[in-house]
Amino acid sequence: MDRERLDRPVRLAVVEDLPVVLEGMRSWVAADPLKRVEIIASGDTLEAVLDGPGADADVLLLDLELNGVLMIGRIPELCAQGRRVVVYSVHEDEETVLNVLKAGAATFITKGESAEHCLETIVAVAWDRPYVTPTMAGALVVADAGTARPMLSAREREALLLWFQGMNKQSVATRMGITEATVKQYIERARIKYASTGRAAPTKTTLLARAIQDGLITPDDIIEYQSFAADGPQN
Amino acid sequence: MTVTAPELLVAQRYSKASTRAAVTIAAAWHLGSDLPSTIFGWSEYRWPLLALGAWILYSVIGVAASVALLNPGRRLPFGPWASAGLALVSGAVVIVACRPEAIMSAANWGWGSVGWLALILFWPRRTWPSDLAVFFLINALIMLAGMAAADSLDRVWIGKFLVILFGSMTLQAGASAGAHAFDLAAHWAADNSSILARAEATQKAAEQVHADRLRRYAQARQAAAPVLTRLAEGADPSDPDVRHQCAVGAARLRRLIAETDDAPNPLLHTLRACVFDIERRGVVVNLLTAGTVPPLPLEVRQALIEAPLEALARARTQARVTLVATANQVIISVLSDAEEFVVPEPDGVRVATQVEGGLLWIESGWTAP
Repeated sequence: MDRERLDRPVRLAVVEDLPVVLEGMRSWVAADPLKRVEIIASGDTLEAVLDGPGADADVLLLDLELNGVLMIGRIPELCAQGRRVVVYSVHEDEETVLNVLKAGAATFITKGESAEHCLETIVAVAWDRPYVTPTMAGALVVADAGTARPMLSAREREALLLWFQGMNKQSVATRMGITEATVKQYIERARIKYASTGRAAPTKTTLLARAIQDGLITPDDIIEYQSFAADGPQN
Repeated sequence: MTVTAPELLVAQRYSKASTRAAVTIAAAWHLGSDLPSTIFGWSEYRWPLLALGAWILYSVIGVAASVALLNPGRRLPFGPWASAGLALVSGAVVIVACRPEAIMSAANWGWGSVGWLALILFWPRRTWPSDLAVFFLINALIMLAGMAAADSLDRVWIGKFLVILFGSMTLQAGASAGAHAFDLAAHWAADNSSILARAEATQKAAEQVHADRLRRYAQARQAAAPVLTRLAEGADPSDPDVRHQCAVGAARLRRLIAETDDAPNPLLHTLRACVFDIERRGVVVNLLTAGTVPPLPLEVRQALIEAPLEALARARTQARVTLVATANQVIISVLSDAEEFVVPEPDGVRVATQVEGGLLWIESGWTAP
């Protein structure tokens, strides 16, 4: 887990019960000019994927609803095993998004998200970097406004909102009168703040450690956020 | 009938007043007339203690009946006729207690007085007139039997009997009829008043509907008239500017139709309806929402949706529409390949725009005051 950059493609295992979605994912992966991702295993149940070569995958892409059953309950054990779980789903309401993140998943992608966002997400997660999809950004904004003790700063909130609205990071930067790097920092910091709530998992610890290493947050920040998590709502 | 209507409360208050009056009359009669008659006629009785017992029995029935009448939750045990039977017994006991020669004296107060008890007992019954009639008849027969036993059935005594009988019956039945009529009048007045209020409310609602219709007609006219006039004057329908104006007009008409639908989330419903129409024009629209929209007045919804709607209507091939809602803030944004236009800024909302990389971004936000 301490690799800075992978000198090989990210090994991805996909758990998906719809062949057409799996084919779509394969074609996205194949179409990436940088060939950053390689699908090493796929199947329609977790067991089918993890009992085979999928056990060594860098990232596990999990369809939230497999054969009509929601998989939120399985996420904590996967994260406890040290797996980086990316959940993707047609359910994009903020409650589902937050529950998935609280369960320990690294990121949430909706099936409406573009190929670019999808691959970016997988690669970022493989490097233990926070990646916020626009859908997640919307859910974070709404969830933060709904809590008694909001964690996001006004600027972080604005950056997330514009990101959700579909602007690219350069446009968000122009709108906010800041640099693109700062926009990235705001969005990622927001993600880190929410990563420290909910269930603890090795993947989260790595994410937080990386965030400190990158100067995104300080160790003091984490203590503060964990104290929030301790008495915050847990679903 | 609803108990909460003020007219009915007034009517009930009148009803209560008349029942209280009935109870008061009966009590006053029993204390002011029956009691002195018993005391001053003590020597007229064969068995004075029996007369006193009858007076006490009468009092007990009177108290129980009054309590039941004044508290709608309470009921008399065994119903009013059981108590009425006891009342008749108390009247008969007084007759028996009297010496035969005193049967027409004031000391024999019972048979003239039990009618007041009957008045209270039968008060809440719909059948009170027939109940009272039967009661009076039995009471008269008991008295006649008593007179027969005392061997006092000559013309003079029968004459006295009839005078007292009709005197007391007129007072008692008259009081009951008068009070019930009073009660009925109060209910009629209340009913009339509530019918009038309903009619007024219906008329006000109709006026409101009419005003809304006129307002919507004006809005529809505003949405469609300029572009229709332009087309009628020979504008070229293939001119992009005319087409944009048509699209905006169509979107506004769509919004007018959608916003009166009875939907759980009217703002999202209107937005979806507009998106649906624009998709049919071949524009790829991605609509995303986060949060629950708080209840908003129609004016706010209209103001909030106006600028995004126009941006959507002007989109050429693609648009991303988002709705973010928290308890005190609602923000709609459209990111589309529409050309820049003069963005409407209705009162009560804040509109922002930005053009970059060939995309037009519009955000319309409302914050709770």
